[in-house]
Amino acid sequence: MSDHSPQQKNIQKILIANRGEIAVRIIRACRDLGIPSVAVFSDADRTALHVRFADQAVHIGPPAPRESYLRIEKIIEAARKTGADAIHPGYGFLAENADFAQACADEGLTFIGPSPSAITAMGNKQTARETVKKYNVAVVPGTEPGMNDDDIIALAESQIGFPLMVKAEAGGGGKGMRTVHNREELPTALANARREAESAFGNGRVYVEKLLVGARHIEFQILGDMHGNIIHLGERECSIQRRHQKLVEESPSPFLDMELRRRMGEMAINAARSVNYVNAGTIECLMDKDKNFYFLEMNTRLQVEHPVTELVTGIDIVKEQIRIARGRRMSPTESILEPKGWAIECRINAEDPYNNFIPSVGKITTLLTPVGPGVRVDSGVYNGFEITPYYDSMIAKLIAHGESRSEAMLRMRRALGEYVIMGLKHNIPFHLNLLNSFSFIAGQFDTNFVEDRFSMDTYEAPPTDAELEAVAIAATLVAHRNQQLAAQGVQASARDVSNWKWISRYERMQR
Amino acid sequence: MKYITTINDKKFEIEIRNDGSVWVNGESRDVDFLALNNSLYSIIMENRSHEVVVEERDGAYEVLVSGRLYNGTVLDERSQLMRSRRGGLEADSGEISIKAPMPGLIVAIPVSEGQEVKSGQTLLILESMKMQNEIKAPRDGTVHRISVQQGETVEQKRVMVTLI
Repeated sequence: MSDHSPQQKNIQKILIANRGEIAVRIIRACRDLGIPSVAVFSDADRTALHVRFADQAVHIGPPAPRESYLRIEKIIEAARKTGADAIHPGYGFLAENADFAQACADEGLTFIGPSPSAITAMGNKQTARETVKKYNVAVVPGTEPGMNDDDIIALAESQIGFPLMVKAEAGGGGKGMRTVHNREELPTALANARREAESAFGNGRVYVEKLLVGARHIEFQILGDMHGNIIHLGERECSIQRRHQKLVEESPSPFLDMELRRRMGEMAINAARSVNYVNAGTIECLMDKDKNFYFLEMNTRLQVEHPVTELVTGIDIVKEQIRIARGRRMSPTESILEPKGWAIECRINAEDPYNNFIPSVGKITTLLTPVGPGVRVDSGVYNGFEITPYYDSMIAKLIAHGESRSEAMLRMRRALGEYVIMGLKHNIPFHLNLLNSFSFIAGQFDTNFVEDRFSMDTYEAPPTDAELEAVAIAATLVAHRNQQLAAQGVQASARDVSNWKWISRYERMQR
Repeated sequence: MKYITTINDKKFEIEIRNDGSVWVNGESRDVDFLALNNSLYSIIMENRSHEVVVEERDGAYEVLVSGRLYNGTVLDERSQLMRSRRGGLEADSGEISIKAPMPGLIVAIPVSEGQEVKSGQTLLILESMKMQNEIKAPRDGTVHRISVQQGETVEQKRVMVTLI
């Protein structure tokens, strides 16, 4: 009767310490479980979708994250005020902050995630490397902790070789990272990375790792419960990225077969076991051209791209997280080696792919969301919502599912074509072009593909004259209609001036 | 009514007659046009059905068809005449103002006043939405004036650099 074991906890109300699409996603899981939800919001998010969706909402401060979504005491206070007994951190913000997990525990709140000690062990990348090594997990060749610059340089020359990466121990988001091509660049790169890491994380310690050229980024979804079970839910292929930000993810990976999945999955479970991992987590790996794989890091939280795993396993990962946090056994009992079909996710970002992916802000003036077979949209926006510059630029995730990779890709292309977002620039044209690229279709890509070998011009045929003419006719008809409407806009009797004067005023107003 | 409509730099002479018929460069077109809401339209041309989103912004039109965004202008005869009298406004030379595409923080200004720059060269780095964004020169030119400073927070559409 494990359901009555002493670690069982009841969860009556969940506060979501996040915003945007992931807050909405978690509220949906709460609804499915019949658990009331509490949203928190900054001044910039009073009108946000997660506030509209939640049962209760608490204002926590000004727009800047460090004054609202990163303020531990305000979030704990919001939970106390609303009677929430559990907190889901989502991803980003406080999700991988061990102090926050500890503060929840101290307050008697259930933190829906791993233990503070697991977060700490995996949060420091060099500690993580040393921890998993003891469990026979292969890590990318690199330097040991506590080495000084001279030792690092000597080891880089004698054993690691060039090119290599300088990385920050406390790293994240590409900060404190440097690619080094030869011995001469190394001392400066170490100094610069150290300075950047010191200012970004307050920890300037750096280490060196071999740079795997042409590597792929493949990660494993892990679930662990308090009864000692740890399984994996298969892999996600995340090599389509730009400046270390993932853009497209899929599950399974076109590079893995069953045998490789079994071996990598075993390694991922060992890595999670090294910190007695409980709840959902992700083991990120690099795989070289010869299919050798190495542990890169563990993300001790729900991942942005979790939906692709949900679609090919049928498991609702957020519901499992809550179940695990309650002290129950997780519902799947075995690792998933045979995914059902194929799923692809495109991150819809407010970024202009024709202009160096520069972020775009503004009000969404038209929004038509794709639906139909095999399509899922996890969105944090609605028609009329204003995108502000305070938070990251991801506004939604479009996920397509099919029997095979080609069916998933075709459904994705159809859904992207149906997706209409007007009022700001976004990267849907990038995704449409990517889906036309032979390399992507053939599964031939690595983590440098988008930056080194992809261009918006390659797969975009210029519009034909017939297309341009159709567009010109449409624009003209609309302009004509607007003029006619303006002329009729006010009843003649209600006006004190002639129609001609009125139209001219209307036109001046529109300028 | 006659219009000069320019889409992606291609010009069309389009006439909409009082009976609602549409003529492009003097040839008649079979067009069934229906407004579905403020920006969504259904257009059937020669039995081809198009879902079209059209929005007017700052005097220009944005048109979205099948996932592709087009930009253009629609001028009636009167505005066309006025524009031609004013002479070629948008020549490739002359001063260009580089405005902030979004509010943000000026992180770095790797150019200085009087410096010659190439098209695509980075003029400023603007931090916004957790990212450092390189603002690049739209064409070759000389940096005429830098009106912001490193460390300064700027509002959207603020002029940051002018090029001549």
